[in-house]
Amino acid sequence: MVDFSTNMTLEKDKEKMLNIKGLHVQVDGTKIIKGLDLKVNAGEVHAIMGLNGAGKSTLANTIAGRADYAVTAGTIEFCGKDLTALEPHERVGEGIFLGFQYPVEIPGVSNLNFMRTSLNSVRKYNGLDAMSAAEFMKLVRAKANDLKMDPEMLKRFVNVGFSGGEKKRNEMVQMALLNPKLAVLDETDSGLDIDALRTVSEGINAQRSDDTAILLITHYQRLLSYVQPDFVHVMIDGKIVKSGGKDLALELEEKGYAAVA
Amino acid sequence: MKPDLLANYEDQVWELAGLMPGTEGLRMRALNAATEYGLPGKRDEKWRYSNMRALRDAIFSQPLAAKNMPSLPAAIAVETSASLVFVNGRFNEDLSDMGDLWQAAQVRPLANHLMSNMDRANELVPGDDAMTCLNTALMRDGMVLSVPAGVEIDDPVEIVHIMTDSDGAGTHLRHMIELGEGAAITLLERYVGDGSHYWTNSVLQARISEGARFQHIRLQEEGAAAQHTGKVFANIGTGASYRATTINIGGALSRFEANVRLLIDDASASIDGVALAGTGQSHDTYTEINHLMPTTTSDQIFRTIADSRGKTSFQGKVSVAKDAQKVTADQSFKALVFDNTAEANAKPELEILADDVKCSHGATVGALDDKAIFYLTSRGIDPITARQMLVEAFTADALQAIAHDDIKTALMERISDWMTERAHKPVLQEH
Repeated sequence: MVDFSTNMTLEKDKEKMLNIKGLHVQVDGTKIIKGLDLKVNAGEVHAIMGLNGAGKSTLANTIAGRADYAVTAGTIEFCGKDLTALEPHERVGEGIFLGFQYPVEIPGVSNLNFMRTSLNSVRKYNGLDAMSAAEFMKLVRAKANDLKMDPEMLKRFVNVGFSGGEKKRNEMVQMALLNPKLAVLDETDSGLDIDALRTVSEGINAQRSDDTAILLITHYQRLLSYVQPDFVHVMIDGKIVKSGGKDLALELEEKGYAAVA
Repeated sequence: MKPDLLANYEDQVWELAGLMPGTEGLRMRALNAATEYGLPGKRDEKWRYSNMRALRDAIFSQPLAAKNMPSLPAAIAVETSASLVFVNGRFNEDLSDMGDLWQAAQVRPLANHLMSNMDRANELVPGDDAMTCLNTALMRDGMVLSVPAGVEIDDPVEIVHIMTDSDGAGTHLRHMIELGEGAAITLLERYVGDGSHYWTNSVLQARISEGARFQHIRLQEEGAAAQHTGKVFANIGTGASYRATTINIGGALSRFEANVRLLIDDASASIDGVALAGTGQSHDTYTEINHLMPTTTSDQIFRTIADSRGKTSFQGKVSVAKDAQKVTADQSFKALVFDNTAEANAKPELEILADDVKCSHGATVGALDDKAIFYLTSRGIDPITARQMLVEAFTADALQAIAHDDIKTALMERISDWMTERAHKPVLQEH
């Protein structure tokens, strides 16, 4: 006999990967997000577009749990769990990854040590044994190779002396290692030349699957010609004012935000 | 008013002279000199960051032989070529392990050394302030180590100082190290103690001959109520090197001084250190590096961390003599503070009489970078580990001169443990 109820639950879980309702966020006492609703299901790629100051990066950082970003109203659920009750590192354990607009330089901490500590922390959170140094080296070299990152950069200090493009590639290697359920990529395309944009896009596309979702935050259309979104949302003044298919991005590019909103 | 050290300590001088006949002249001269210098006060520029009131207000007695052993911080896990243990200022043969060091070098307690030939008293540095002169007047024991020319001792020699049940006692240790031409040694000095109110006042004097290498690791983990003053005098010959790494974690107040003389061409010294000041603690380092000849080099790297109401200080004086050309001298001091009740002081001082030299110094005070902590936690790393990684990175430069990896690892663990004990504390945000 087939147990339909189990399948039903799985379907339902998939649907509810990220569910944001009536979200209000303040940073340093200033209201930035003012009533935002967003649903992202497994298998989907969403793009959030908007001008500087619209609150896009605040949304990304709030999902990741940055301490000084205060949720004053609304809910964020991830796979049915209240995300706001979790610390940033626990959110990563649950399967969320934030690609930074400006990856942070950390002098004195080697990239390899950083990535291995990161992967083993997430493995530990999920009840898995730590990966050995040898096993990890094999894995990280393969991922660096996929993303055309010079393996020498693994030995350097985290992001120190990296060009803009190298920092973003480094973010993509970290994402590939952690293989998150939901990747939130904050302006991952900014500061990239065309070759780097292509490589990074390939990295993002490799992350696409029926079980994973991607939230792209950008204010240019150009990334979206490499990574085709299923949905495009326009964000203005802390709210999503319009949602549509991938054509909406082209319309924005052509007519500007004022006309579309 | 400054206390009358002569009146306070003359009895002890005669008692010690009784134990080591022939030392009375040396001791009395030193006590008179100490009295002349007087215990330092706030107006002494060299001592401006340390409040020495606890030493001025009391007369410290000679410690008694130990009855009980305190529980000690974990050992620094290393293979040692010898381990010498001093309990309450006295050499303890039972706890010591002389290994096979005696086959390669001459090593003996100070008392035996002086008693064997009183002329040896002339080898003692008499002192250049009240603390070091008091040390000469009141020294009771120490290690005398002489490594013959060409002998390289790979495993570290360890000296452990233990203070126990010593309320009101002061211990004055004198260690003498002599390295022959091309000799090499690593010395690991540890200071530990129980919670009693005692004072450790130690002096180490080193003579490093041509081409010899002296690596000195000094880990100060005194009991919480202890006052600790320590000084190193190092004379460095042609192509010889002195590498010191000083770690200050324990005690209510600690003061470490290094007086280094780069005597002949190509002599080099590095004096590095890490100080961790918990609430109410003060760690003060004062270094004086004298470049007396051309092509001598020195390098100083200090990294300190201060918790709420903790205090770390560094004063580094570099002197370059006239005609000492092509000298290189670098100094770097960086402090982390937990909040705005923590204090970090830095004062570099350069006195350069030659014209072709490269000297640099830099000092910064800041907080752990909250952006870096968020970046690490946003990769799944818990905040305690994240802070440990950042502190490890922060202190790494100050430990780089240590050639023995196991010592370096053990010291990194000490630093990491210190951070873990304070894991619940918020760290000042940089805006």
